Amino acid sequence: MDKNLESEGERKLSCSDVSKCFKLLESILDGDNIPDSQEILNQKLAKCQPCFEHYHLEKAIKEVLRTKCTKHVVPSDVVDRIREKIQDIK
Amino acid sequence: MSEVQRKKYSDKEKNTIFDQEFMPHIDSMYNFGFRLTFDEDDAKDLVQDTYLKAYRFINSFEQGTNAKAWLFRILKNSFINDYRKKSKQPAKIDYQEVETYYNSDDVDFGITTDLRVDAVKDMLGDEISNALNSLAVDFRTVIILCDLEGFTYEEMAKILDIPIGTVRSRLHRARNLLKEKLRSYAQNMGYNTDEEE
Repeated sequence: MDKNLESEGERKLSCSDVSKCFKLLESILDGDNIPDSQEILNQKLAKCQPCFEHYHLEKAIKEVLRTKCTKHVVPSDVVDRIREKIQDIK
Repeated sequence: MSEVQRKKYSDKEKNTIFDQEFMPHIDSMYNFGFRLTFDEDDAKDLVQDTYLKAYRFINSFEQGTNAKAWLFRILKNSFINDYRKKSKQPAKIDYQEVETYYNSDDVDFGITTDLRVDAVKDMLGDEISNALNSLAVDFRTVIILCDLEGFTYEEMAKILDIPIGTVRSRLHRARNLLKEKLRSYAQNMGYNTDEEE
C-alpha cells in the first residue's frame, strides 16, 4: 500500500535532520495541530527512507500500546469508599 | 493573570458534576495510578485521594471543561507530592539527570532502526507492558498519557505543568528508550531484527 509512494522516485537513504523530522512525524502521528500535516507526511514518507521506517514503526508501537496493554479496572470497593468519605465531608 | 474564576455550586450541582463528569473516568484514573506505582493498594489510595480532592475543590472546576485532564493533573500531583515522598522506594532515576543526559539531539544518534514493524505487532501485551514499565516514571508518564489515554499535547502540558515543546521532546526521548527495550525483547524472542522486507 505505502509502497506505491516509491513510484515517485527512490527514497534517500539518510535523513539530513533526523531529530527534527522524527519529532515532526511523531507530532503528526499524535494528531497535533501541524499545518499541512498530510502533505508534509506524504512528502517525507515518499522521499526519505529513515522517515518512512520511523513513521511506520512508531505507528505500530502506538497501536500495540493502545490495544495490548492491560487496562486495569478499579476494584468496586474503591468507589464505595469514595462515596462514603464524601458523605463525611458534606 | 492565572486567576481562576470561582463558582459556587449547589450541593445538587456538585453531585451532578461528580457523578456525570468525574466518575466516568475512574477506571482510567486507576489504570494511571497502577502504572505509576505498580501496586494495587497504592493505586487505590491515589484514586481515592484524587476523587476526595476533586470533590473538595470542585468549585475550581468549570463545568463542561475537560474533567479527565483536570483529574489526571490532581492524581499526578498527589503522586509527586504524597506518594513519592512517603514511598520507601524513592525513584531510582532522578528525572533531572535523565533529562540532562538526553538533553541534546544526540538522543537520535545511533538509534536502532532494525526493530521491525512485524516483530512489534507480534508482541504480547505483557511484553509491551513490561517494556513500558521499565522506563523512568517521567518517560513512562508521557507515553501513558499520549498513547494509552489519548491526551493531546496541549492537555499533557497542562497535566504535567510543562511547555508543549517539552512534552514533544520528552515523548520523543521516551519513545526512543521504549524502542530500545522492545528491540531487546524482539531479539530475545528470536525475531529477526536485522532485515527489512
